[in-house]
Amino acid sequence: MAVTQLGGTPPVTSESPLVGDRGPRADRDSRGFARARRIIASILLIAFALALLIPFFWMVVSSLKGPNEVFSIPVRWLPDTWHWEHYVELWTDTGMGTWLRNTIILSTVVTFLQVLTGSFAAYGFAKVRFPGRDVLFLVYLGTIAVPWQSYMIPQYIMLAQAHLTNTLLALVVLQAFGAFGVFLMKQFFETIPEELSEAARLDGLSEYSIWARIMLPLSVPALAALALLTFVNTWNDYLGPLLYLRSRENWTVQLGLKNFVANNITADYSMLFTGLTISVIPIAVIFMLGQRFFIEGIATSGLKG
Amino acid sequence: MTSAIADPARTPTRRRRSKLALRNTLLGWSFILPNFLGFGIITLVPVVTLFYIALTNFNIFGKGNFIGVGNFTKLVADPLFQRSLLNTFYYSVMHVPLTIVVSLGLALLLNTKIRGVAFFRTAAFFPYITSIVAIALVWNLLFSPDAGPINEVLRFLGIANPPGWLTSQDWAMPAVVIISTWRDMGFYMILFLAGLQAVPRELYEAARVDGANVVQRFFNVTLPGLRPTMFLVTVLLTIASFKVFDLIIVLSPGGNAAPNAATVVLSQFIYQKGFVEAKFGYASSGAVVLFFLCITATIIQFLINKRRSV
Amino acid sequence: MKRRIAPAIGLAVAASLTLAACGAAEPAVPDGPVTITVSGWSLATTPEFQLLADGFEALHSNVTVKVVEYDAAEYNTLVTADLGAGSAPDIITQKEVKYVPVFVDGGQLLDVSDVKLPDGISGADSYKVNGTQYAVPYRQDSWVLYYNKDLFDAAGVAYPDGSWTWDDYDNAAAKLTTSDHFGTYEHRWQSVTQGFANAQFGGDIFSGDYSYMADLYNRRLAREAAGDQIDFATSSANSPSYQGEFGKQHAAMLPMGSWYVATLISQQASGDADKFNWGFAPIPQRSSSTVANPVTFGDPTGFGINAAISADKVATAKAFLAYAASADAAKLLAGVGITPALTSDEVATVYFAVKGAPTDDVSKFAWSTHDTKPENPTSDKTAAVQSILGTMHTEILTKAKTVEQAIKDAAAAVAAL
Repeated sequence: MAVTQLGGTPPVTSESPLVGDRGPRADRDSRGFARARRIIASILLIAFALALLIPFFWMVVSSLKGPNEVFSIPVRWLPDTWHWEHYVELWTDTGMGTWLRNTIILSTVVTFLQVLTGSFAAYGFAKVRFPGRDVLFLVYLGTIAVPWQSYMIPQYIMLAQAHLTNTLLALVVLQAFGAFGVFLMKQFFETIPEELSEAARLDGLSEYSIWARIMLPLSVPALAALALLTFVNTWNDYLGPLLYLRSRENWTVQLGLKNFVANNITADYSMLFTGLTISVIPIAVIFMLGQRFFIEGIATSGLKG
Repeated sequence: MTSAIADPARTPTRRRRSKLALRNTLLGWSFILPNFLGFGIITLVPVVTLFYIALTNFNIFGKGNFIGVGNFTKLVADPLFQRSLLNTFYYSVMHVPLTIVVSLGLALLLNTKIRGVAFFRTAAFFPYITSIVAIALVWNLLFSPDAGPINEVLRFLGIANPPGWLTSQDWAMPAVVIISTWRDMGFYMILFLAGLQAVPRELYEAARVDGANVVQRFFNVTLPGLRPTMFLVTVLLTIASFKVFDLIIVLSPGGNAAPNAATVVLSQFIYQKGFVEAKFGYASSGAVVLFFLCITATIIQFLINKRRSV
Repeated sequence: MKRRIAPAIGLAVAASLTLAACGAAEPAVPDGPVTITVSGWSLATTPEFQLLADGFEALHSNVTVKVVEYDAAEYNTLVTADLGAGSAPDIITQKEVKYVPVFVDGGQLLDVSDVKLPDGISGADSYKVNGTQYAVPYRQDSWVLYYNKDLFDAAGVAYPDGSWTWDDYDNAAAKLTTSDHFGTYEHRWQSVTQGFANAQFGGDIFSGDYSYMADLYNRRLAREAAGDQIDFATSSANSPSYQGEFGKQHAAMLPMGSWYVATLISQQASGDADKFNWGFAPIPQRSSSTVANPVTFGDPTGFGINAAISADKVATAKAFLAYAASADAAKLLAGVGITPALTSDEVATVYFAVKGAPTDDVSKFAWSTHDTKPENPTSDKTAAVQSILGTMHTEILTKAKTVEQAIKDAAAAVAAL
């Protein structure tokens, strides 16, 4: 039952096969049973969610402690005095504005390129059959299998010879063409029934138009997943920017915050957690906004008729 | 399902077929090329170089000579390498199935219209975005052998001698698996959530009409519909498990390896040899072994997946 | 942060200028304008680089010294990458001795044997690879015993007087322990136990026979069992910082490197550490026979020259190295709480004049008189052996193995290298 299309959606409904309502056949008793089950499920979910948030909570609380208070024996969960000024200091004493701008530019460009070229290449891998395709795909996967640490220095020397070090561009080319997006989108394109493309071909659409007008609209959830994960990974990356971005005005948020913390004489760990908390909040918000694409994705059935 | 352009109604002549193959090759490459330009230069070239370096005794500055397979014969006899190989398998065998079950369960649970689903999904994703330093510190506290909450619960449940977890030789790896599963589940939940959107809704309807219960619907509708996602997750997760690194480093007690090198894994071995001991050629040979392990696992999964989808 | 340090530097430079006239003979610096670059880290909290740069510029008006900042934690990786890409600074600061053989082996450092070093400078041998000098020390930290005078007074225990052996240390730790604080705190690093064993018990980390470490490990396990210091497993789980444990008076004693003096002074000034009276003493000895010149350990920090430096800058770079090792530079460094590689009574006076520093004679003796053995002997095997010994350290202190078993297993692992 496609709940989204019904008016007056009941407050708690489910499309999942596990926490499902029992449909119109359910009688009164099982309705009450279903409600009880839903309430229990909600309580469990809330308890579970709180448990998941403990390290995050600890991080936030630690950011408000004095520097020598963060670690102590026995453990203290709440600070003696609340050091809210850490957040003020962080905003006023650093080039936060520039770093935030750099990080947003970097994450957006990388995400855009990864989604665009990844889904474009994925169409070639998923829907066009040509000799050597599977081998090429394995080569893509193979590069994921090599730890970055083992080739980051040769790669750095190569990019240094191209005079790309100490630019945001270096990080864009480094992160935008990964195999991850290609793999993810290929798998999702393969779930889309071939008849849809066939019908489009009979209507005279080129393969490029099929990609743009059939495949992309049908894979909104997958594109959202790819975009979210790429954005988060680029935002949180530390070692990449550290190796490539040397001048202060090119730094990302992660880099700037760690540096600020390392250079602060008096505050050490508590300031570190202030920085970490600040850097997590924007991506938490972006995630919260972006996750709705997973329920509003278009059911393939809607387009079949 | 994957072959698109060939029209099965006609039986093409040999020439037409080769023309079609050429056309498809050009077409396929035209799609792949924009990505491949970046990927090939930035990633593929250094990775291929690595295969050469694995046959040398280069230090980190590229000074040294070609020594053939010397590194690999040395690897086979290196006790630390053997230990790290075993540990990597041990970790992967526990971590891959556990993470699949947990993240799929979460995705099913959160693929609903319950109130506050946005909050729950974000909460489930939080472990993945919380700083790894905070994660290590908090889990170290939770797993603390004497005063940690986990062992207090175990004692309360009547277990007189709960394990020493991260400081114990036998329990360090299971503890790492628990923490890494907790951390990774949000990431794979996202992939499963996206995959669930692609399962046609009318299939559930049809199954329901046929009287299938929740469990039957899961096995007959959800799982088959998720097959491409399942392949994606299994391959990514297996490779990620073989490569596990940062979590192991930050969780080691006192910054040292766990007793008897109980949690030393391949990536750590590669890092230790390459960056700490500056034996770059030797480290690269370890990376090449890791590459072939991942590729073998991927090909096996690829073949299984292909046979199932026929 | 920079503002706080700047006036101190200005004063120190001015002071050194008056002394500069009688400086040692240095390689000839060319007359025309020269710019040399030096690698450094965490410049705001590590003033030594800018201090030495300013001091050198003051001596040579035609020279500009630029400090290039690197991340402290990933310093060696980043410098390695820049050396490989040919974009590294002219002078490479050697942050950790164990990487020196790596740079030398990669042909990245110039032979600096012709740079004249003052007599009595310590740590120079750590930069000798196969008999050739590849860097010059300017800073030499060594390990001492910090103690909280207030907690000693409260417990009625006599302060360490410079004659302590490990027995005295054990006894004091037991007497100082109360329900509020531990007698001592020993950090989780392997060097806290192994460094002293290597230095005092005739140890050779390449020998493969580590039975000489057993005594100090048994003592530590006994103290932990008696509750005189926090046990290793709890410390690992809670990850306390040594600054917090000593600075917040959770422990009455702390074996630690001399770099902590400057940190403790600044943390007491800012309120991040409690206000209490403290001092430091020579580290306890194996026997009273060495108390006149106490044996401890520590590694120097030094400057090497990038092998890819342009030929016209070599003389200037070598002059900079000679300056950094000189008595003038030592006084500059001591003025900001850094322990220079070259110490003398004069340098000690400058060091202990810093506001907040202890003033007692034992502290002065501990700072200026010691036989400091290298923590990391210069060898291409050091890193591999230290990592095996790190595992041994954990195995013993988590009680996963007996001391004897862990020592035996470490020997086997070293033999297999």
